[in-house]
Amino acid sequence: MSAIVSATGLTRRYGKTIAVDNIKLDIPAGRIVGLIGPNGSGKTTALKAVLGLSPFEGQLNVLGLDPRTHRDELMQQVCFIADVAILPRWLRVKDAVDFVAGVHPKFDRAKAERYLANTKLKPTMKVKEMSKGMVVQLHLALVMAIDAKLLVLDEPTLGLDILYRKQFYQHLLEEYFDQNKTIIITTHQVEEIEHILTDLIFIREGKIVLTASMDEVGIRFVEVMVPADKTELARALKPIDERQVFGKAVMLFDGVPRDALEALGEIRTPGVADIFVATMKGTYA
Amino acid sequence: MNTFKWLLKREFWEHKGGFFWAPIVIGAIIVSITAVSLVFAVTGLRGGMEINGVPVSNLAQIVAPDQKAKFASLLFSMYKGLLVPFTVTLAACIFFFCAGALYDERKDRSVLFWKSLPVSDSATVLSKVAIAIGIAPLIALVIGTITAILAELLTMIAAAIAGVNIFGEVLSDPNTYLVPLQMLAMLPIYALWALPTIGWVLMISSWARAKPFLWAIGVPLMAGFLVSWAGKMFRIEGDLGWFWQNIIGRMLTSVVPGSWLIQQGHSLPTEETLRASSAVGEMLAQSLQLLAAPNIWIGAIAGSAMIYAAIRLRRWRDEG
Repeated sequence: MSAIVSATGLTRRYGKTIAVDNIKLDIPAGRIVGLIGPNGSGKTTALKAVLGLSPFEGQLNVLGLDPRTHRDELMQQVCFIADVAILPRWLRVKDAVDFVAGVHPKFDRAKAERYLANTKLKPTMKVKEMSKGMVVQLHLALVMAIDAKLLVLDEPTLGLDILYRKQFYQHLLEEYFDQNKTIIITTHQVEEIEHILTDLIFIREGKIVLTASMDEVGIRFVEVMVPADKTELARALKPIDERQVFGKAVMLFDGVPRDALEALGEIRTPGVADIFVATMKGTYA
Repeated sequence: MNTFKWLLKREFWEHKGGFFWAPIVIGAIIVSITAVSLVFAVTGLRGGMEINGVPVSNLAQIVAPDQKAKFASLLFSMYKGLLVPFTVTLAACIFFFCAGALYDERKDRSVLFWKSLPVSDSATVLSKVAIAIGIAPLIALVIGTITAILAELLTMIAAAIAGVNIFGEVLSDPNTYLVPLQMLAMLPIYALWALPTIGWVLMISSWARAKPFLWAIGVPLMAGFLVSWAGKMFRIEGDLGWFWQNIIGRMLTSVVPGSWLIQQGHSLPTEETLRASSAVGEMLAQSLQLLAAPNIWIGAIAGSAMIYAAIRLRRWRDEG
């Protein structure tokens, strides 16, 4: 199976600043990839290149097509919610459904209406009468009803409350996702999506600093509660992060064999957020 | 997938106010004013209206039976006159529509939603062009014609009540049926003629980071003043009037229906010429002559080139 997204030397400059720096990337089909990075790390810029929304240097293939020259074809197979995109204020719910049904061959109207029935949105409601969360609900209902091979979600749940966010990710995993689809998600609420991800990509200052499947992440990264008498020993193994909890040192190790760590203290599987914070240390310094 | 039909609907949802309700309101105002004045005239309230010192309520006294035809042709002039408020509003609405057409979606970032659907930039921009040069003028013409028919009917009924029945004269005059068709025949000429302004404003709308309306108006005017000033300063020989009329004029004023008649050097129809029942036919004939001269075609090509630029700009404008 060829890659859904495949990039080599992907670079994007804004004047003298390099937003995306020589990225190499392969995303196979049937994956849910979390693209995680701090603000200004180049996530959105990279995604815009993938979606053919901005120019770039280097090689980039999405579903075998170059997004620069074949964007119109590409958009038959790709859908996205990009970077706090909002819907126009004058749009009515029913018109929005009609329009997408009219222009998108892969839109399932019944599905969209089913999602909408779970919200407080009324067919005659205009976007300008909606709360921020309701606009996002409408947008998600439209996008989730499109049977796309690649779905890109850039901060899709911004402005939604936790109940709806949980429900949304549940739907995404149970109803939307299958082996032929690929989903790329960016979000700041990493802990909410880590259980649905199959792959993780960390991006920092335009460069990819980590790319691994969730299984690999579980093997590579180990957190140990180290009692005070063993801290020196543990530090010799070069933890990538260390914090204090109830007087004990909690250390995060990358790629240190598990049995070596088990001797030091109680072992835990760290959350993606912890790994992220450790990896990004010093970003804003 | 009938994408283009949905794109047109989309524009209509957004701009129903300017392109549909505005002419309806104008029509309603015209019909009501006509109705009220006719009621005053016929009933002779407040002394009633007078024509040459004779109260209108005694219309039969001033309109001799053999003058009925003349009276009927007076009604046609009303139709043409009534279209003026529609054309002025239409021109303003189209100009503002084009200025915002590719700018507003970037400003509120909804462009990212539109671009997430399988709709090409060309189809999107061309749907806006179709609204500006085809659909909006057609709606205005239809509503304007309905307004005129209503106003004429009211006038004829009022005249009949006052003792002058001109239904026969009006209904048997071929102009009654020809004039709306002649106006309709001018729509394609309007479409060609308006292209340079529409292309220019759409291109600015696609390019400007802020205030597209000011850019669209300001750049040609500044260019005009600069050229005029340079011409005076350095005593460069050249026809400044030509530059203002054929470059700046075409960039800014070609959306006004009938503006080609002024450009051609024809005087705008006056009340006198309008009264001739064949006035619209003459206007159409003059307009058709336009097709034989290069001006309209060069303008249309320039306009199309700017529309193409607007499409490319929409494709690559990065709102990072």
